[in-house]
Amino acid sequence: MLGPDVAWYLGIAAALFATGTLGVLVRRSPLIVLLSLELMLNGANLALIGFARQFGDMGGQVFALTVMAVAASEVVVGLGLIVAMSRRRVELDVDRMNRLRG
Amino acid sequence: MAVGAWICLLAPLAGALLITLAGTRISRRAAGLVSTLSVAVAFGGALTAFFALLGRGAEKRAESTTAWTWLSAGEFQAGLTLLVDPLSVLMALIVSGVGTLIVAYSIGYMHGAVEERRYFAYMALFVFSMLLLVLGGNFLLLLAGWGLVALSSYLLIGFEHERPSAVAAAKKAFVMNAFGDAAFALALFVLIFRTGTLDFGGAFAALDDMSSTAVNLVALGLLAGAVAKSAQIPLHTWLPDAMEGPTPVSALIHAATMVTAGVYLIVRAHPVFEAAPAISGLAAGLGAVTLLAAGLIALVQTDIKRVIAYSTMSQIGYMFLAAGIGAYASAMFHLMTHAFFKALLFLAAGIVIHALVGQQDMRQMGGLGRYMPMTRIAFWIGALALAAIPPFSGFFSKDSILASALAEGGYGVALLVAGLVGTFLTAVYTFRMLFLVFGGEPSPFVREHYHAHGGKEGPFSMTAPVATLGVLAVIGGWIQVAGLWHPLSDFLDPITIVDREHLSLMEPTLTQDLVVAAISLALSLAGIALAWLLWSARRARVPEAAAARRTLEQRLYFDWLYDRVFYAPAVAVANAWRRYVEDPVIGGSIDGIAGGARGLGGRVGQAQTGLLRTYALAIALGAALLTLVFLSAR
Repeated sequence: MLGPDVAWYLGIAAALFATGTLGVLVRRSPLIVLLSLELMLNGANLALIGFARQFGDMGGQVFALTVMAVAASEVVVGLGLIVAMSRRRVELDVDRMNRLRG
Repeated sequence: MAVGAWICLLAPLAGALLITLAGTRISRRAAGLVSTLSVAVAFGGALTAFFALLGRGAEKRAESTTAWTWLSAGEFQAGLTLLVDPLSVLMALIVSGVGTLIVAYSIGYMHGAVEERRYFAYMALFVFSMLLLVLGGNFLLLLAGWGLVALSSYLLIGFEHERPSAVAAAKKAFVMNAFGDAAFALALFVLIFRTGTLDFGGAFAALDDMSSTAVNLVALGLLAGAVAKSAQIPLHTWLPDAMEGPTPVSALIHAATMVTAGVYLIVRAHPVFEAAPAISGLAAGLGAVTLLAAGLIALVQTDIKRVIAYSTMSQIGYMFLAAGIGAYASAMFHLMTHAFFKALLFLAAGIVIHALVGQQDMRQMGGLGRYMPMTRIAFWIGALALAAIPPFSGFFSKDSILASALAEGGYGVALLVAGLVGTFLTAVYTFRMLFLVFGGEPSPFVREHYHAHGGKEGPFSMTAPVATLGVLAVIGGWIQVAGLWHPLSDFLDPITIVDREHLSLMEPTLTQDLVVAAISLALSLAGIALAWLLWSARRARVPEAAAARRTLEQRLYFDWLYDRVFYAPAVAVANAWRRYVEDPVIGGSIDGIAGGARGLGGRVGQAQTGLLRTYALAIALGAALLTLVFLSAR
């Protein structure tokens, strides 16, 4: 087994995920929120790949690829929405989009 | 023969459907014509069947024709079967024949009324129901027709549905009839249970195997149904109220359809009643009581139609009396003549009411004979027939009933006395009505409101049926004259007589016939003379007798009693249930559930801030919490 221990991978993955979560929670621009989401996904991906390497199981890598594909699709939809909103001159601020308030 | 019966049955149904489906695409006049024509076609069908029957030997005069098996449940089967025999054909002839005249009359009477098309569709439906009742080849079809008659009478009595009294009368008729229907149905259940069939022949053949209790139960149920439909005491109170319907409807209910159904049922099911002598005695007794009570009440009525309505009750009482003592042919004979003269009286009264813009109160009338000589003649004919004066039709039929009662002896004599008193009462109230309406000088109301129909007393469509019925009311009784000829009894023989020994009991001798005829004629003439003294010549004063008068005006307190005994407790119970069960328990629990759900929804709704970041925080905290739980639970 070459390279660092799996704990290192997990540490970085946790740091990435926490950064992403923080970004989703505190930023108000939908664009940044989307970016932060990607960070969270990639943190998860890193954990998956780390474990896959640890156990020598290709399933984790395959799963990571799937997550990437899903993330790409999600970004397409999300960016599309953001573009549509800016075309309609909707203010790009997630706190203002509160029409679903109960 | 079968074809005639099917045409007879289905033509009015087709007429009703056609008018209903055509809606406003046909004119009002066309609707009336379609209705009249369909009933006339039914009469043609009945005539065809009648002549086909005449062409056969007396033994072969019954044919049943089944379209398909209508109902099948295990062993039990009932077909859509028509039975063509002398009894059903005679009834079909009366129903469709008199019905045709009445529907034709309606064209003139209802002219300009709102919703004429609906009226004519109902009329055709009514005739169809009654024809189904009389032509049905088993008890089940009879019951179906029975129920349909109740339905169509409900629709027609409540035809002027903007008047609350008409709606109330319709409901009353329906509820009273439903009571009879239920009793009838229970009797049929007993029959099915004991004999496994509802075919007339099969059920009657199996009667011998039944216990006397079961036979009595069946007879009692059938009698209750007949009593409700024929408005006999104690289920009679709907009939006078049914006068809320348009006059031709009253004529149809009273003369051709509906009230005669009870008599038909007893005659049709006579083997059952013969096997249960106590119940047939009860039927005769109820008839006698009814004819007396109705005759008395009719004495004080002020509404022209109600007088005629009570006279119907009274005359149906005679028929029940006859059917109860086994004089079925006499009952059917009186049913037929009654159909003629009662339809005549109603339609003539309708002409009067029509000419007086809807006024039915006899106290407002008077002296109409001067304005309406032809109607007066028609009314005289009807009144003489009703009061049983020879040679008018009522005399022959009523006389044969009373003579049969005398021939029965014992109990029959008591019935005969009631019948004779009834004859006297009939003459009094009939001629009271006649003198009040047509006699004397024209009253102020008549002078002010009488309006001739284009110089005539009524349109052709109204006068022609009245004239036809007038002729029939005169000559209708001549088809059977005691001691001379009796074709009607002969025609009905195969149906009405099962064992010949019983026949000798109820066939009066010529002497009996003549004696009864003389007494009843004397009583009728006395009644007419009394009515003339009191209300025409006014030589004598109407006796005051305030208590008796009030009792009669309250209709012997039957309505009052039913109100107290049935209506008031039912309302009290219903109110108590509402107050103590419905409102607190059922309503309360529903309200509680609804209120709780609404409150909870409001609380939960507050969590929906609409802010994306709140949701994200909730998810993150939730995930963190779950992680901690899993880690600590290891």
